Amino acid sequence: MKNSTMLFAIAIFVLVVGGFVFVNGKNGVTANVVSNDAQVVQGQMQQVVLSQNGYNYKDATAQAGKPISLSADSSVGGCLRSVSFNIEGKRYSKYLRTSEDTLELPALPKGTYNFACSMGMGYGKLIVQ
Amino acid sequence: MSFKEFIKELNGGRVEGELIKTIFYSLITSFIVLGLLYYLKFRFIENFMTTHGYFLFFSALSYAIILPSIRQVRAYKEFLCMAGMMVGMTIGMIAGFLPGFFLASTNGMFIGSVFGMTVGMALGIWNGKCCGVMGVMEGMMSGFMGGLMGAMTAFMLFNDHLIASMVIVFSISAVILFSLNYMVYKEMKFEERKIKDDHLWTLVISFILITLTIWLMMFGPRSGVFG
Repeated sequence: MKNSTMLFAIAIFVLVVGGFVFVNGKNGVTANVVSNDAQVVQGQMQQVVLSQNGYNYKDATAQAGKPISLSADSSVGGCLRSVSFNIEGKRYSKYLRTSEDTLELPALPKGTYNFACSMGMGYGKLIVQ
Repeated sequence: MSFKEFIKELNGGRVEGELIKTIFYSLITSFIVLGLLYYLKFRFIENFMTTHGYFLFFSALSYAIILPSIRQVRAYKEFLCMAGMMVGMTIGMIAGFLPGFFLASTNGMFIGSVFGMTVGMALGIWNGKCCGVMGVMEGMMSGFMGGLMGAMTAFMLFNDHLIASMVIVFSISAVILFSLNYMVYKEMKFEERKIKDDHLWTLVISFILITLTIWLMMFGPRSGVFG
């Protein structure tokens, strides 16, 4: 096969496979999605305040079956103010610049949910009881 | 003038004439493996394209741009120290950075950096030895740095346009490797080819790299933030 034909074939392959990946990927949740209010039932919200413990978050607790409004108190500093959850393949993250900023999570079943700062340096657990 | 000669040589009878074929065979191998696994298993995984598809696609593209440089360097076998060090550094850095970046995007920084360092150092040493111990050291150091940096970059971009960054990082790496191809040609255009590898070599290495990447992405350890 000539090199020019191969170049053409490479371009076609990359376009077809890349197109397939990107078209199918658009339907899902991307790595940059921040949770939006539409996913949360208003009026039943429970408040959870995160604190820092050394280089990590203190473990936080919440009740099962109720949407969660997450905020961070003044003990949380640096990149730990950018909180990132991965719950069932969906990513919820927000930079909680002030103590009034909140990250809203949907109602969760019982379990322990790991979360981290956006750089993955500080970790914490949300224990849903 | 030598750049025009290089472009002309991409269709010629020297090793430069095999670079495009190497990209083609590597892509075919990786896409067949990915296509088969997607049809048999991955399509049943929810959100697979978003969580893994992009990164596997770019892994396949990355291996396809790294392998031609390795073929070209192997063909001439021995380089002067300066050129050999540049070879070891470039291949070690790119071969460490890209796999580390992709794996860290799906599994976290630990496994991303370990895999990036392993691939980068292995390929860096293998190609850097074309000029002796200095090239080997250069390959080792750049693979070590590239693997860690790739994984760290992905993790730091996690909530900030990761996919767009991946496209930019890949494009820059492709330009750097193409420049390496040109540099090797410019340094060695009066030399004879020493080693002639067949294309089975390309198929085997592509298969090993893409299989290892898939296996680690799907079954490898994950950091806390990935659940």
